[in-house]
Amino acid sequence: MAWSRYIGGRLLTLVLTVLVGSVVVFLVMKAAPGDPAVAALGENARPELVAAFRARHNLDVPWAQQYGRWLADAVRGDFGRSLTVASDRAIAGLIAARLPNTLFIGLMALAIAVALSLIAGTVAALRRGKLADTVATSMAAVGISMPDFWLSYVLILVFALGLGWFPSYGFIAPSQTLSGALYSGFLPALAVAAPLAAVFARTLRTALLETGGRDYVVAARSFGFHPAYVFLHWIFRNALIPYITIIGLQVRYILGGVVVIERIFGIAGIGSLMVDGAFARDYPVVQACAVVFLVIVLSVNLFVDAVCSWLDPKRTR
Amino acid sequence: MGFDTLHSGLRRRDFLGASAVAIAAAQLPFYGEALAQNAATLRAGITGYNVINTLDPGKATLIPEFYVIWALYNGLMKLDANSDPVPDLAESLKSDGNVLEFKLRKGVKFHDGSEMTADDVKFTLERLLDDKFASPNKSKVSGLSAIEVPDASTVRLVTKEAFAPLLTFLSNARTGTQVLSRKATSAAGDDFGKKPIGTGAYALKDWVPGERVSLSAFAGYIGGAPKIGFIDMPLIAEESSGVTALLGGQIDITSTAPFADIPNLEKNASITVLKQAGLNCRFVSLNHRKAPFDDPAFRRACSMAFDRNAMVRAVLFGEGVTAHGLIPPSIGYAYGGNNRPLCTYDPAKAKAELAKSKYPNGAEAEIMTWGQSWWKRMAEVFVAQCNQTLGTKFTVQVTEANTVFQRHKSGDYQGSIWGWLGLLDADEYMYDIVHSKGWRNFYGYSNPKVDDLLERARRELDQGKRGALYKEAENTMIEDMPIVPLFVSNIHNLMTKKVQGFKQLPYSNWGDQFVNMSLA
Repeated sequence: MAWSRYIGGRLLTLVLTVLVGSVVVFLVMKAAPGDPAVAALGENARPELVAAFRARHNLDVPWAQQYGRWLADAVRGDFGRSLTVASDRAIAGLIAARLPNTLFIGLMALAIAVALSLIAGTVAALRRGKLADTVATSMAAVGISMPDFWLSYVLILVFALGLGWFPSYGFIAPSQTLSGALYSGFLPALAVAAPLAAVFARTLRTALLETGGRDYVVAARSFGFHPAYVFLHWIFRNALIPYITIIGLQVRYILGGVVVIERIFGIAGIGSLMVDGAFARDYPVVQACAVVFLVIVLSVNLFVDAVCSWLDPKRTR
Repeated sequence: MGFDTLHSGLRRRDFLGASAVAIAAAQLPFYGEALAQNAATLRAGITGYNVINTLDPGKATLIPEFYVIWALYNGLMKLDANSDPVPDLAESLKSDGNVLEFKLRKGVKFHDGSEMTADDVKFTLERLLDDKFASPNKSKVSGLSAIEVPDASTVRLVTKEAFAPLLTFLSNARTGTQVLSRKATSAAGDDFGKKPIGTGAYALKDWVPGERVSLSAFAGYIGGAPKIGFIDMPLIAEESSGVTALLGGQIDITSTAPFADIPNLEKNASITVLKQAGLNCRFVSLNHRKAPFDDPAFRRACSMAFDRNAMVRAVLFGEGVTAHGLIPPSIGYAYGGNNRPLCTYDPAKAKAELAKSKYPNGAEAEIMTWGQSWWKRMAEVFVAQCNQTLGTKFTVQVTEANTVFQRHKSGDYQGSIWGWLGLLDADEYMYDIVHSKGWRNFYGYSNPKVDDLLERARRELDQGKRGALYKEAENTMIEDMPIVPLFVSNIHNLMTKKVQGFKQLPYSNWGDQFVNMSLA
């Protein structure tokens, strides 16, 4: 009961946060210099063309009214039409076509980060102070310090241009072939995953070591249980809670990373759509992408919190 | 409940482990088929841009839109390597003062199979002139006073007085005058920009906004079906990604290249780098209505106070030529060269000129520019060298491009980095920019002699004589130094060795070459 009330409250907060977020994005876009009419029609456009463009796209009414109209349409799933990046096409359609690609790369990056961090974090904790620990912790330090765009170019240089194992550019959408998507998405996903894996691995290592020193673990060992059983049953399970929490918190960085990576690798996702929209002053496109991102990040956080509070009922009290 | 939860934690871990294995097990051979190379497909990456809003020439403004339009359509004329207009859909033309008469090629088909006639040409031009259609390219044909169609293969264009640049504006370049079908265009209505029909060697196959445009060869093309069956044009926003895509074998040719990479790419034996000075001009725009740039002697002093060669090296990594006027070298008929003393670095002469000016001692001025890239570096080099040579106190003011343009239009500035890209005719470089009535003349420059020469050049239909008038106008203009010319930047294409037949033209051509190309 406490749990469902907790989740219900969080859902309400999510809706309010998205609403506030959409207002903020709207205002920031309006405050930024530049004019979509100039972006669409060129710097030398005649004034009457600019006026017609503004009227057609609802840009000539007061801001509050612009936002109101946008919101009224958005709640019905209509994000309006693109101004300057895909003239007059429905934004909902653009997002629907691109969202799967972004989610695919994001999930793949998450999977890679989790897999790498589970191995590195566990090895480092079990071999504490030994060579394996030093290697794993140093790799983590390097991983955290590398910007993802830089890592992207290094990966392209080594694995695409150097060894020729992966394509240097382009992405096969999962809707075409799944194996193609996994293959062509590997380098971009790895570029996003590497810094995350480092953070995850450090968290897991710390949690494992901390849990390993708890009284109940000492007690379990004194009963003579097999070390592997003690590790899996008492240490690892309890260390998972901070580990999963940190994953939930880092999801926003996955999306942030995907925005950059999409442009470098030519993945038609909503990150690159949002960047194009921002450059071309395509207000409704940026607005729609921001809302979608916001919903994803908040939903994942909510999901992770739900899982954690389910794992650890103390949280909801 | 506590006990169960711990079990679900374990299951979650198992699940995550399993996904990692699934990824590791992803098989390469399946993918190979998906990307299997079609020998008959040219992968022509549009680099540095990924926005295409319309493929309707009458509505197009962006360079990547024209890249595609040049493959889909033809103009009455086309531009050659010298930027001279030569017949394309026109078979021949004759001019008689203010009347231009075109004989059209016979048997030209639109993509829908219908035959092109003089009426389609009339429709195309009238559509551009129609205020209701509101074409951004209307100015290219606004000099027309009548369009006559005596028979199905003859078009007569009447202007108020002879207007020589019109032939350039009717070319298949960045003009918007590409010939449309009256029937197909009217039938498509507002959707025409998404479902273009032209006479070009390629027809639109597919277009995914922000992602790619693909074309297929048009079997009914007047010049015969092209050798390459399909063109795939991924829209690659990052120029550097275009380079890696080419080096990694994902594309065959790029539409641009990053300046800084050119020296290294030229050493790479597996690719070809094409380059030449493009159709552009970059200069320091000086406001003649405000001190200190209201004094011609002061402006001349500035022009001789900095080293253009050093600027080309510092800003363009050597990828350009110094400019001593407005007309770029690729407009061969009107180019005046780059050895004018007033545009050559000479500290002694600069100081002598400064001494004659109204502001000999440490004049202050703000030089506007924008962004982080070369536009900013241009201003920095100019300001630093002027200050060093002349003891002036210029400063760089960095803002946003559109703000700079607006302040030009309102006259609210002293000096500014500025430039024009994609102007095709010498008239646009000279009449528009330095004629007292030119619409790009923001700085209030007026010299009756220059005005007269430019007006005569407009009426001169002999390209040689016309060029001579522009050279004379430029020589006269430069004495007043209304703007300080800086340089002309190069255009680039990168290709793999298997690409054959691409001929780079100064206007950054692209789709118009596909018909001549083949893959080894």
